[in-house]
Amino acid sequence: MGNYLNIMAAQDAAAVVELDEKPFLTGAEAMMEALLAEEVDTIFGYPGGAIMPTYDALYGYIDRINHILVRHEQGAGHAAQGYARTSGKVGVCLVTSGPGGTNLITPIADAIIDCTPLVCIVGQVKSFLLGTDAFQETDMIGVTTPVCKWNYQITDPNEVPAIMAKAFYIARSGKPGPVVIDFTRDAQAGLMTEGLNYQKVVELMSYKPRLIPKDEHLQRAAELINNAKKPYIFVGHGVLISGAMEELKAFVEKTDIPCASTLLGLSAMPIDHPNYVGWLGMHGNYGTNVLTTQADVIIAIGMRFDDRVTGDVTKFITQAKVVHIEIDPAEIDKVIKADAPVVGDAKEALKALLPLVKTNNHATWRNEFRKFDVIENEKITQRELTPEGKIKMAEVVHMLSKKTNGEACIVADVGQHQMIAARYYQFKKPHSYIASGGLGTMGFAIPASFGAKMGNPDREVVAIIGDGCFQMTIQELGTIAQSGLAVKMIILNNNFLGMVRQWQQLFFDKRYSFVELQNPDFVTIAKGFGIAGHTCNERETLSESLDRMRAHDGPYLLEVIVEKEENVFPMVPAGAAVADIRLE
Amino acid sequence: MLNKITILFTRRRINIESLTVSETERKGVSRYTIVMKHDKREEVEKLVRQIRKIIEVLAVFGYLDEESVYNEIALFKIATPMHSKKLDIETINKVYKAWVVYWELDYVVIEKAGTEEAILEFFRYIKPHGILEFVRSGRVTVGRTPQGLVEYLPEAEWEYYL
Repeated sequence: MGNYLNIMAAQDAAAVVELDEKPFLTGAEAMMEALLAEEVDTIFGYPGGAIMPTYDALYGYIDRINHILVRHEQGAGHAAQGYARTSGKVGVCLVTSGPGGTNLITPIADAIIDCTPLVCIVGQVKSFLLGTDAFQETDMIGVTTPVCKWNYQITDPNEVPAIMAKAFYIARSGKPGPVVIDFTRDAQAGLMTEGLNYQKVVELMSYKPRLIPKDEHLQRAAELINNAKKPYIFVGHGVLISGAMEELKAFVEKTDIPCASTLLGLSAMPIDHPNYVGWLGMHGNYGTNVLTTQADVIIAIGMRFDDRVTGDVTKFITQAKVVHIEIDPAEIDKVIKADAPVVGDAKEALKALLPLVKTNNHATWRNEFRKFDVIENEKITQRELTPEGKIKMAEVVHMLSKKTNGEACIVADVGQHQMIAARYYQFKKPHSYIASGGLGTMGFAIPASFGAKMGNPDREVVAIIGDGCFQMTIQELGTIAQSGLAVKMIILNNNFLGMVRQWQQLFFDKRYSFVELQNPDFVTIAKGFGIAGHTCNERETLSESLDRMRAHDGPYLLEVIVEKEENVFPMVPAGAAVADIRLE
Repeated sequence: MLNKITILFTRRRINIESLTVSETERKGVSRYTIVMKHDKREEVEKLVRQIRKIIEVLAVFGYLDEESVYNEIALFKIATPMHSKKLDIETINKVYKAWVVYWELDYVVIEKAGTEEAILEFFRYIKPHGILEFVRSGRVTVGRTPQGLVEYLPEAEWEYYL
């Protein structure tokens, strides 16, 4: 009770008076108090029958909790992901039972694979109706178990504080992930029988993520690193999640090891850093992929050797010893056997490794990457950036990168434009590439972009979206218009599901099976939602178009009509070894 | 909880041979004994690490057959109509270490505890009598170590049944 008084007193002295009149909170009110205690100031949601008591409680908290009303629950989930990834906080969604919950499954599955902390509060029918196929009843625990980090059904208002404290702790600690709270209507509306005593969880008995690595792990890793002739660092999303950018820089500068980034690790190292050699994987750079076959020690930091990075795993870094720094022990040896596993937080591990590693000079080895860059530049980049005919996706991203000095936060959708955005944007600041990496969720970018903008309002947020993806969550334009968030959206329109078309061209004999789209007039649609925009169809007006988009006060849609049948290269064909990367 | 564990097997297309769940001597702590066949130790270790990731799981231990003591229990319902072949209770008791635990006029229920092989051996012996029903439990197992499993659990103020 004392703690409850403190919380309330700190917020509003008048609330203490209220306490005398109504001694105990409802479950829904306790939920709001839990959000405040966890310093949640922004949530994304959509009301409905089984969550109404919570929305009613929210009405009394609108001065303290900013609720963004989305147009579809999937939008709430992706927005919360974007928010979490730029703010470093836990993203919170509030939706109703049944379809509200099932519409949230895609973002939950996206968040588990991309390690994004979410707390999803899902309404549920009254507990006496559970299992009766009641209206809008879905077994949310059953359907979310395979795709969430933790879930729990609250059926008693007294459970709210302890469970929510646990939920937030689990979502943000260790390897972050989504937590689902299935909140029955009677637990929301019912009164607690005790005062609120919210205590943040700092430890759980059955879940103890290791932050500080073991000494013997560090010693073995340092020994491998110090004796390496051609060491090579793979930077993953874990570096960004743990905020280890400075520690990584210090480590890289002392050891002089070249480092490449995974897709989600992009922007953890500034692109102009002399040790940064590029991007790994299927559409990554030429040298970064080929030289994996030359390295003698791989230092993988906060990454999980996704099949898009390894290609044919039986031919991937077989010659190298592997140091694997990773917070999740289940990732060790899962895909690639680690000679020196270091289980711990990337930041803590790099901090602890720094004094153990020798100052070194690997300039000759680093320069080998540059030789490949020359070839890639000549065969691909220059052609993409100085083309004739239709505008190419690459030149749009490249120009945007120059105009924003590489300092914008890029939210990409899924497909060719996602790869082009990753290739041609010159990231200078961390947390600047927000995309659905693991799940590859088309439709991610519109909702994630306004979430990203809310998570870091001072940054310029530009969403790069394909014409196919745009139509998957197009209704969220309404959310952007209503919230007035200055999100800039660029549609790279080639009238195709470009990545699938590219595969059909290269691997299915150009049999274009259902990849051509008859698109609507996107700019008119945006105008219908109250969002300004225009179409750019000519190279001559591209620069001015980007300026117009950036200068516009408020959200803006720029549609760029691009080359219809453009392919993304380099490319490691699926199932091939990374060394067999194709340049054309 | 059961679902959280079993989906890890089904997703990886690994069959569960048997599964036994019971509460341990510590209040609130359940013990799952899962039997699986696999020819690659590494794959089993990967699966063990995935099970450890479940928030509620306190600890996971892997045992090979030779590292553990294990037993199953089976019940046999045998028809004993008039003029049928007489059951040799002495052999059943002394040779097969099985016991009649229930009888009626026209059937008996025999309980046999032991390893899968011992149960199968008894199955073959008793089969000619006509088995009306046969049911076998999953394994219960303890490790061949001087410690109890619960001693490996995190320190806390546990409540004991014992």
